[in-house]
Amino acid sequence: MDKNFQEEFTQIIKFKPPLYKQRHQFIKDLVEKYRPKKVADLGCADCSLLRMLKFCSCIEVLAGLDICANVMKEKMHTLSPLPVDYLQPSERSLTVTLHHGSVAHKDPCMLGFDLVTCIELIEHLEEPELKKFPEVVFGFMAPSIVVISTPNSEFNPLLPGVMLYRHPDHKFEWNQAQFQSWALETARCYDYSVEFTGVGHPPTGMEKAGFCTQIGVFVRKYPQAGESVQSEKPTEAVYKTVFKAVYPSLKDEKYLQNAVISEVIFTAQIIKHRLMSKREEYGDDPERKSKFQPSMDCFSDYLGKLVVEKNMEPFISGNEVYIPLATIFSFPKVNRLCGTFEKLCKLIAGKVTLSSDGSAVMFNIENEEN
Amino acid sequence: TIGLQVSSGLQDLSLRDRGGRRRDFHDLGVNTRQAMVHVQESKSGFSGKMIKLTTNHFRLTSRPQWALYQYHVGYSPEIEARRLRSALLFQHEEHIGKTHAFDGSILFLPKKLENKVTELFSRTRNREDVKITITLTNELPPTSPTCLQFYNIIFRRLLKMLNLQQIGRNYYNPSDPVSIPNHRLMVWLGFTSSILQYEENIMLCADVSHKVLRGETVLDTMHSLHSQVGEERFRDTCAKELIGLIVLTKYNNRTYRIDDIDWDNNPKGTFRKSDGSEMSFVEYYRKQYNIEISDWMQPVLISQMKQKRGNIQGSVALIPELCSLTGLTDKMRNDFNMMKDLAIHTRLPPEQRQREIGRLLNYIQKDDNVQKELRNWGLSFDYKSVSFTGRVVQGEKIFQSGNMFDYNPQFADWTKETRGVPLIHAVPVDNWLLIYTRRNYDVANTLLQSLFKVSPSMGIRMNKPSMIEVDDRTEAYLRVLQQRVTPDTNIVVCILSSSRKDKYDAIKKYLCTECPIPSQCVLARTLSKPQTIMTVATKIALQMNCKMGGELWSVEIPLKQVMIVGIDCYHDTVSGKQSIAGFVASLNQTVTRWFSRCVVQNRGQELVDGIKACLQTALRNWSKWNKCLPSRIFVYRDGVGDGQLNTLVNYEVPQFLDCLKSIGTDYSPRLTVIVVKKRVGARFFAEVAGGLKNPPPGTVVDTVVTRPEWYDFFIVSQTVKNGCVAPTHYNVIYDTSQLKPDHVQRLTYKLCHMYYNWSGIIRVPAPCQYAHKLAFLVGQSIHREPNLMLSDRLYYL
Repeated sequence: MDKNFQEEFTQIIKFKPPLYKQRHQFIKDLVEKYRPKKVADLGCADCSLLRMLKFCSCIEVLAGLDICANVMKEKMHTLSPLPVDYLQPSERSLTVTLHHGSVAHKDPCMLGFDLVTCIELIEHLEEPELKKFPEVVFGFMAPSIVVISTPNSEFNPLLPGVMLYRHPDHKFEWNQAQFQSWALETARCYDYSVEFTGVGHPPTGMEKAGFCTQIGVFVRKYPQAGESVQSEKPTEAVYKTVFKAVYPSLKDEKYLQNAVISEVIFTAQIIKHRLMSKREEYGDDPERKSKFQPSMDCFSDYLGKLVVEKNMEPFISGNEVYIPLATIFSFPKVNRLCGTFEKLCKLIAGKVTLSSDGSAVMFNIENEEN
Repeated sequence: TIGLQVSSGLQDLSLRDRGGRRRDFHDLGVNTRQAMVHVQESKSGFSGKMIKLTTNHFRLTSRPQWALYQYHVGYSPEIEARRLRSALLFQHEEHIGKTHAFDGSILFLPKKLENKVTELFSRTRNREDVKITITLTNELPPTSPTCLQFYNIIFRRLLKMLNLQQIGRNYYNPSDPVSIPNHRLMVWLGFTSSILQYEENIMLCADVSHKVLRGETVLDTMHSLHSQVGEERFRDTCAKELIGLIVLTKYNNRTYRIDDIDWDNNPKGTFRKSDGSEMSFVEYYRKQYNIEISDWMQPVLISQMKQKRGNIQGSVALIPELCSLTGLTDKMRNDFNMMKDLAIHTRLPPEQRQREIGRLLNYIQKDDNVQKELRNWGLSFDYKSVSFTGRVVQGEKIFQSGNMFDYNPQFADWTKETRGVPLIHAVPVDNWLLIYTRRNYDVANTLLQSLFKVSPSMGIRMNKPSMIEVDDRTEAYLRVLQQRVTPDTNIVVCILSSSRKDKYDAIKKYLCTECPIPSQCVLARTLSKPQTIMTVATKIALQMNCKMGGELWSVEIPLKQVMIVGIDCYHDTVSGKQSIAGFVASLNQTVTRWFSRCVVQNRGQELVDGIKACLQTALRNWSKWNKCLPSRIFVYRDGVGDGQLNTLVNYEVPQFLDCLKSIGTDYSPRLTVIVVKKRVGARFFAEVAGGLKNPPPGTVVDTVVTRPEWYDFFIVSQTVKNGCVAPTHYNVIYDTSQLKPDHVQRLTYKLCHMYYNWSGIIRVPAPCQYAHKLAFLVGQSIHREPNLMLSDRLYYL
């Protein structure tokens, strides 16, 4: 649980940024490069890596797995959507799930991932678990990419106070040759390629020791398994779900509709407001030109251009103000949300008061004032 | 053995809240009742009719012999980081158990460890052995103040377990929001909760809370402000609209208050990170959160970080594009349509409100994890709210020029009853100005004709005014005022064509300070509807009359030689962080005339000195009017924040006493100081025919849900058309009046009838509302103390 921050305390003198941050940054760079949609972190502990990954815009499914439910639970609420996520739902969908279970067991919920990370995980596994691990991760889950990091024991003499292992829970710590031979054998066995790297550079003159944390990046050589192949695999759930958060997204019709209605009415209100104040206060104010920032007053310029076009001019008739949907649709925000005019009409049907022919948003201004 | 004390020094320590704050929002431990002998036995009144009430309080029960064990946890060698301290301690869960609350130094356990002092050994990553010493410091009975804080922390833990989102002090359910697209608002339903020791039981007070969130970023708001007001007034308007608002950010779950806007900075600007390196905002948000800031020209918002004891601990810069607004601005509150649309969702009628509250209790009851947590601590709730009897005191009679009126208690309003009846004291309007713009010429005439129609029956003699046409510019109004107002002018009436605040402010400022003449501003729009013009004109005539020193109606005040004082505060967030205390004091026996003063002070200054001076002048004026000094003084003190009671008791009350002493050695009037609180969590529902209704005005509650250490009571004085009526809480913190609680309650209720801007009963005693009006006017428009020439009139209405 506390491996990250304890390391920070002891090694802050040596590594800047601290080693755990370098490991996270390594994963983040990898995500930027391959842009996976589904990412799982095995041995996610306090979820700090997941917390960072949820900000990566390519990821739509995030999963964490740990053998200790309490450690996950402690900070899992930080993976919940923020109030702002509800207020301004994002374009992408995102589901974050935490599972309680062992990497030695297969569970169908881990199928179909693009990237699986095992950061400082394997050295915590007992012999029998370590034996089953390759079959579960490479054989069963079979993601496109697997990242495995583990301490490099050749570096230990350079760390203050490390006698045997870096952490009392470590079952082993491998040197570079041990890790690489295990990794190469695993890769060969499951048809992956592997490349070795690491974080935490050794001091000058000690280059032979290698990185403090050694990393293997495994890339699957065969194309993605088809649906049919996966369905043949054992499908009994053995993990226990301890947390699940579905982020509000515009992909969800409910949120999209809310967003569109809100944007349509808001846009219409602004147009109406301008129309009315023009009518009321003509000649009252001199120039209202922007000298401040071009970006600040784009709206009024934009409106000015639009009004020139035919059939798009808002108008007042009696106690009613009409703002053509075509005008509203031409606003970039509305346009981007709906895509097509038909979609716009469909989404606001019955939710926004329209003119009798359905071509304009209608406001009654009779009872406007207090 | 309960209450065993091992180490006295540690006893006062309290559990730390989220963010390390230790603030006592509930004014625990301020015991004012013990000094008041006459309410030792009972603080309850007796008059009125009994009424069956239900409330939103739920009993908290603990198993018999329950106690909470408080331990001090020490580390050797000393360890600073709170997380490491927790991690090292929790390695020993087999010793301390799975159920615990730990803030880094204080540990609470539901069970007693075997030994008073337990020594445990942990090992850090760098092979350092750490000795942890767990020392029993206290065995707390369920009612101890520390325990109460502890309950509240545990309860918040439960709310978090229920997946509710914390915003500010309350918890909200984000999954089922109500959106109001017309105003780009979103309303979240949530709960406020507090667990306190009440008269006989420890209870949870739970209420429905609505959080208004805005579906737009601060940058969006800036854009629309810019298009509304134009370049010149843009920055000013932004400051006025945005400063003081609470924002949520896109990237963390924190709320920030906007304290300033840095127009010289933008997202390309850099800041110093904790490791000392410089980084631009653009780069930081990209690196840290993968967020691309799209507008690089926007200014930067500044939020001051407050830490313990209100010290300012540096500031945080926020990017408008990444901040969402919460809550309502004053401007929005004044938007009638918006408030109407909001009210549909937020004003829940009694039964619905009680049902929503019941939902929270239901969640708690149904959730296994929550129940497990409660069981582990040995706590549980009564899932049925508390019921008891309150009293409805008799309605007041309204006196107006020899006439006496009863009002319908259902409406708590006597507008109809007193229509066309002469006022107690009508001030003639001989010499007055009516100022308007050309466009409003017709409106001005309509107003004038209507005023002439309604005034005679009220006994107001009104001459023709000087009608003055002006350009619709602030300077034009001011020039006219400078040229045409003379010392003989009774009042100035201005018709304004828009609710633009700068014009209003300029007029008020000039006529309240440089040239002290009462003034009345009217929006042209208000006068434009023929069907309401008579009602509006009547109200304006009444208001004008009050501003010139007139009196409208009275109620019977049985006490003689009494001076009533009202105090309220206004915190000006925009211009120079001022705070304003409005102070009003009655001048006559019938409590129909009021003296007023105001204290303007900068941030950090204490209120008390200014208030002392106010009280002195008030006494001088009272004695001028009555040819003697008052023998009784009642102070109704509004504007006291949560957690400030202690300051009031220890500093403000002694200052009042000092002030009275300074008047003369033989002068010792009876003094009563009552803290008035409008924002309380308690709600009362009358049980009527199997359903729940709002209790009628005059409902007094002084048992069960009051606090044992205070001389306090609730009064429901007003009525509401929609939703639930909110009771007002009165806390008598000092009282040498020797009056029975019944009399103090009745006097308080009577004073709720005396606010001249509303011919009905209001939520607080009139002096509080007057003080509020005064402080608001000064804080919003004038920014300095108004001319004392006006001090004997209600010019601030």
